[in-house]
Amino acid sequence: MSFRRSLSARRGVAAVAVTVAATLGLSACSSSDPGGSSAGDGGTPVAGGTLKVAFWPDNAAFTCVDPFQTYWIEHRTVIRNLADSLTDQDPKTGEIKPWLADSWKVSPDGLTYTFSLKQGVTFSDGSPVDAAAIKGNVDGWLDTVKATNGAAFGSSYVLGLKGAKVIDPKTVELDFSQPNSSFLQATSTTNLAIISPDSYAKTPAQRCAGDFTASGAFTLDSYKPNELLKIVKRPGYAWGSALSKNTGEAHLDAVEFTYVAEDSVRTGNLVSKAIDIAWPRNPFTVEDRELIERSDATVEQRSLPGVALTLFPNVSSGRILSDPAVRKALYKAIDLESYASTAYGKDYPVVGGPFDETTPYFAAQKDKLAFDRDEAEQLLDSAGWTRTGNGYRTKDGKRLTLVDQIQVLTPGDELLQDQLKQVGIDLKLDVVPAAERPAKIANGDYDLSGTYFTRADPGALQFILDPDLANSKALATNASTPETLAKIKALFAQAIQTTDEAESKKAYTELQALLIDEGVTYPIAERVQFAGVSKAVHGFSFTSESFLKLNDVWKSK
Amino acid sequence: MTRYVLGRVAQAVGVLWAAYTVTFAVLYLLPSDPVALQLGAAGIETDKLSPSQLDAAMARYDLDRPVLEQYLTHLWNALHGDFGMSISKQVPVTDLLVDRIGATAALSLLAGTLSLIGGFALAYSASYLRWRPARLLLSRLPSVGASFPQFFVGLLLIQVFAFNLAWFPATGTDGFSSLVLPAVTISLLTSSVLAQVLMRSFDETLRQPYIVTARAKGLSRAAVQWKHAFRNAALPAMTILGVVVGLTVTSAIVTETVFSRNGIGKLAQEAVIAQDVPVVLAIVTFAAALFVVVNLVVDLLYPLLDPRIVHVQKVSR
Repeated sequence: MSFRRSLSARRGVAAVAVTVAATLGLSACSSSDPGGSSAGDGGTPVAGGTLKVAFWPDNAAFTCVDPFQTYWIEHRTVIRNLADSLTDQDPKTGEIKPWLADSWKVSPDGLTYTFSLKQGVTFSDGSPVDAAAIKGNVDGWLDTVKATNGAAFGSSYVLGLKGAKVIDPKTVELDFSQPNSSFLQATSTTNLAIISPDSYAKTPAQRCAGDFTASGAFTLDSYKPNELLKIVKRPGYAWGSALSKNTGEAHLDAVEFTYVAEDSVRTGNLVSKAIDIAWPRNPFTVEDRELIERSDATVEQRSLPGVALTLFPNVSSGRILSDPAVRKALYKAIDLESYASTAYGKDYPVVGGPFDETTPYFAAQKDKLAFDRDEAEQLLDSAGWTRTGNGYRTKDGKRLTLVDQIQVLTPGDELLQDQLKQVGIDLKLDVVPAAERPAKIANGDYDLSGTYFTRADPGALQFILDPDLANSKALATNASTPETLAKIKALFAQAIQTTDEAESKKAYTELQALLIDEGVTYPIAERVQFAGVSKAVHGFSFTSESFLKLNDVWKSK
Repeated sequence: MTRYVLGRVAQAVGVLWAAYTVTFAVLYLLPSDPVALQLGAAGIETDKLSPSQLDAAMARYDLDRPVLEQYLTHLWNALHGDFGMSISKQVPVTDLLVDRIGATAALSLLAGTLSLIGGFALAYSASYLRWRPARLLLSRLPSVGASFPQFFVGLLLIQVFAFNLAWFPATGTDGFSSLVLPAVTISLLTSSVLAQVLMRSFDETLRQPYIVTARAKGLSRAAVQWKHAFRNAALPAMTILGVVVGLTVTSAIVTETVFSRNGIGKLAQEAVIAQDVPVVLAIVTFAAALFVVVNLVVDLLYPLLDPRIVHVQKVSR
């Protein structure tokens, strides 16, 4: 049933990063250029043409292209080209660069951000991008946070934000009730992209359907969910960030995003030249990568910053994983190296900690995550789980069965099942459709549940682990004991409510060790954004969030 | 005759109502929380909401009223062609259906035509051929054709005719060329079903005494088969025509997904994944209506093709 595999929606996603930059090692890896941009060769850009991009299926659970509300990676990729942000982030260095804002100042106490805006920028309806427009956005964000009780994805970017003041038409001041060390980077993300204040007069549902106006190099032509999303060039665009070679009008006339459910068909479409870019959610299989490289297309890749592909345990009382010894044994039983090479190919990076390696403040936990089957067996033996005839362990007549709640069955899941079987753990793979997931998690009828979160800031994880902020309160509550949760929250507060970079670094380093020591996160794989790019496409590049940036893209005739 | 027609129409309406009601009951009485499911489909997680927000959200989707009242309202609205709002897409369900129906209708029509041609051609040649091994081979083909999973056939056709030969596009809802591969995929199943029924009834008809009589009168084998056997043998095939049309629509779920065609089938698949109850309900009702209408038409055509059916009616009166 391979067609079903790729259909289910996986929740995930997005991103803020940090004020800081160069030191953070926001390295990217792309096959042709270690930075975000590549394929710049190929001569003088040619204007015109329609670029055809194929995504995997559109979000079945939440159809939304509103910048502030959506979490879906593909929606955010589209938004990046429709709406500009106050700042931009250099994918190579992590530095924050001017975009709609020429310059900015952060007060020493971290409570006031003053942005000075570029002149002459307009939304596609002709209205100006001025201080009042930015204030309109801030008000819109805060209203949306309130209306959704913090469920809107953008809520995680504006923690502590109180409101905005218009100083003069080109100067706006944003005020905070507590410092938020990741806010400046947040202003560079798609989720805080600026749309016209009029758009905030529309309902959240209308904005989700694409009913908003922005200042980007493209405008939304039409959006039919899961069918076709078309964007067209905005004539007169002249305010791209300096991170693009082309800061003026886009080279392309239009871009069509279609949705192809079957991975192999998407790849085949690229190879047979029916599309220009194949943009998968899950990494290309080894076979697909070879197929693309054997044709004259290229494979581009970049690690997605943020929470790695992770299983979160249910440690509530009565569940098997409430025993710390079993949680420890689980780390030792999982062979992450063979997972990476078997599921994704020989050169695929091995996950090294709770976050992907492109995440700022990443601190590897390789020793603690190292595979050691003997130690796993010993830990389980001493925890009272003994082997029986069929190879699985039991204790007081109860089998060591862990329910892993998944949304799509992947070869990786089966590999994990096999690895755990080697030490006598029976991993039950429970396939749950996206729409049933919240209810199932709320019931607590699982032992492990996977999710991830793309955001160039370790703070991303608190929106999974902190019940007060998390989208799924139940998953957060179940993932750690109350004592551990208190420690986690304290470390996040220490890292975020400061303007001292060293302080953040210290807290996040401690946090990453704590998460593994206490068995709170089970990183399974590094998440890599792949793209298959036809030879006719030039100027391809990833943003710092590993989204597709189209300013420099052109098609040879 | 009038009574026959009225009876059939009443039956059709009854079936339609039952289909709607059973679907409604199944979807709303699932052993899960319909509120959480539907709010989940709208991207809202219930444990994030305060009690007052939860109430407001429930009111927005009419979930705060008793089930029976919801049922009656929905049924009344459905009778007027209003199936409510899609929860995950936030647009009227009727608009969604209208938007997608053309693609599926075109697919069904082409697949239906191909099945008729394929099914009849196969059955006719199987009965016409005299060389036993060839006959045997042809008569086994439908079982083979009906056994291939459609997603596999679809992917195979894409691989060969789209990627290798580049005759047709692999995906899309763009003109006739994008219709060919999915229609062939579907008609492999439906023409096999049709051929199976036809072959059996051909064999049976050819064993009838009147065929022997016709042959004895000196008519050629071809003439006997075409003029005498064919029309009689086609009657059972008419009966399953309704099933075949239904199959082309249900097959659309898999086929449209594999070929990324934006029709009712893909909509059904999306709605089920998202547990978008109003859309699922509308599609099931639509599919049931299609079955019912095709069967009604077949029922009404019987008397025209086989006068005996009307005679029986007259006698029984």
